[in-house]
Amino acid sequence: MDSSVTGIQEPFDLIRLSLSERVFVKLRGDRELTGILHAYDGHMNLIMSDVEETIMIVDPENVANGQSVVNVAKRKMEMLFVRGDGVILVRFCFSLSHLFLTVLL
Amino acid sequence: MDDSPRPPSPSRQSETPPPPPPPVSHTGSPTDFLKGVVGKRVVVRLTSGVDYKGVLSCLDGFMNIALEQTEEHVNGVITNRYGDTFVRGNNGVYLPFCKLCCES
Repeated sequence: MDSSVTGIQEPFDLIRLSLSERVFVKLRGDRELTGILHAYDGHMNLIMSDVEETIMIVDPENVANGQSVVNVAKRKMEMLFVRGDGVILVRFCFSLSHLFLTVLL
Repeated sequence: MDDSPRPPSPSRQSETPPPPPPPVSHTGSPTDFLKGVVGKRVVVRLTSGVDYKGVLSCLDGFMNIALEQTEEHVNGVITNRYGDTFVRGNNGVYLPFCKLCCES
């Protein structure tokens, strides 16, 4: 994708385009969040609302077929501040190609 | 296959076209290399051992990385497919990238 068309020159441009959109955030410690992104900064501190957190808990004692059983815990939060150093990855629910089309139209 | 004996001729070898140049010259800085791989398929390996394969959309001085058509690989197995992703290039300890290599 041509960056001059999409206006994306640096990774934070992607985050900026996701403001007020639903995003998926992968965190350290086998945690994942989905929620609406309201604000961010250069540390990737995030303010999110309508958040569902998924926590994967590996139980080393409970082993089935040679693999540890993973328990999943979920919880919901209305408003959440995420400290940036825990963020591994942010996934966007729009696609760059979609953006490309909207620029063309 | 040509069976006729052909003595090695250095001049002939010098006429053969050189292999296609690598995307970035070896004398360039790491930044030049990274600029050269933007738009190509890359593997981003995190310290946790998780690989993210995708098209490198852009990156910045913190090694924050934007990927398109991202696949998450854990132990060589695809565990997730994401469209567009932002990978936080952490300031050293938690998430440095051990490997950022071009796929063919």
